[in-house]
Amino acid sequence: MRSNTYTIAFTMAVTTVLAFFLSLASSALSERQELNIKIDIKKNILKSLEFSETKEEAWTLEIVQNIFDSYITSIVVDKDGNLITGKTADQISDFEKEFPIYVKKINDKVDGYSIPISGKGLWSTLYGYFSIEPDMMTAKGITFYKHKETPGLGGEVEKLWFQSNFRGKKFINPSGELIGIQSIKGIVDETSVEAYHQVDGISGATMTTKGLNNFLLKDLKKYESYFNRIRKQGDA
Amino acid sequence: MGFLNKKSKAALNDPLMNNNPITLQVLGICSALAVTVKLDTAVVMTVAVIAVLSISNTVIALLRNLIPSKVRIIVQLSVIASLVGLTDQVLQAYMYEMSKQMTVFVSLIVTNCIVMGRAEAFAMQNGPWRSFLDGLGNALGYGMILIGVAFFRELLGFGSIYGFQVIPDTFYTAGYENMGLMVLSPGAFIILGLIVWAHRIAAKIEED
Repeated sequence: MRSNTYTIAFTMAVTTVLAFFLSLASSALSERQELNIKIDIKKNILKSLEFSETKEEAWTLEIVQNIFDSYITSIVVDKDGNLITGKTADQISDFEKEFPIYVKKINDKVDGYSIPISGKGLWSTLYGYFSIEPDMMTAKGITFYKHKETPGLGGEVEKLWFQSNFRGKKFINPSGELIGIQSIKGIVDETSVEAYHQVDGISGATMTTKGLNNFLLKDLKKYESYFNRIRKQGDA
Repeated sequence: MGFLNKKSKAALNDPLMNNNPITLQVLGICSALAVTVKLDTAVVMTVAVIAVLSISNTVIALLRNLIPSKVRIIVQLSVIASLVGLTDQVLQAYMYEMSKQMTVFVSLIVTNCIVMGRAEAFAMQNGPWRSFLDGLGNALGYGMILIGVAFFRELLGFGSIYGFQVIPDTFYTAGYENMGLMVLSPGAFIILGLIVWAHRIAAKIEED
């Protein structure tokens, strides 16, 4: 039997050595990990705006950065719909008051807007991007980059079949009010008058899609006054 | 000690066939179910477990005469947890997409019974070289089953092998459908059960 002093000294030595190695690895790798996270978010913004990875050209960190820099700019608006000039998405300090919009431009012509969306599903908070056509009322795409919903059920939100349903749907009703996009139970009846703001639901994922309906509307509300302003400018 | 004398060879080979940790000892099932939907995650998991298990066994074997028996389990666990933490960090830095797909299951290697089991049952009584081989053998035995399960799940569930589609499109147009069950956990149970059965017959193991 070893003495207590030995036991305590031994455990302390072991923990110190192990902690040293772990923190060494953590600080050596943290820069690369943070870069990965940033690029992953950019990748999602790009995907929501109809860029896609091809088999010939896999998206490396550099390629994602390049595409992003060539097509995407960011602007910041406040809840009253004012554009905060000169500010970019990276400079936002208070996400409750200032909201980023990523703008896709091809040859200086706006091709779409992408906004961050997030909210509770069944088990977890989902994070993603929702993109909009230049008319400011038609959905262009939706992506999710982080969630912990059940694979095969709520996890289907990250699948192409679900996401591609959103394209072309309108989140503004004919009288010009924000209505959001609802994922319903079952398949959308395309002949229905409500079909313009409905997408096919995911069977077995009622709670996840309910959550999505709610937080998509909530996030769109934040931007509504700005979007509305742009819509009116378009009419004029 | 020779490079691979009889005992060392047994330490490496036994867990592959006669004493496979998954099919015969039924350890490490949790992760075997979780990361076997597709081959690529199963392969990464295998590599991670090989790294953790062979290094943890070696380290524990080196320390075995110094570790006070009162605190041996917690010391083993700290070594294992640190190695897993390290693996997780490396994956996040160099294989970000993969680490996202594998989520918590990398960290859960800590609780993989195989890893602690080998530290306590083997590395505490044997030298570092043989413990290293034992760790390697067990990790390979584990990985072999993992990759086997993933092979069938991906083939039947997605019609692909390692991401390459192998079921031709003409099959799908003729009415063939991927088996959705294979993508969900029950699919893993069924495949694993069949593999355990086949393995026990092949290894001529009978229980009363």
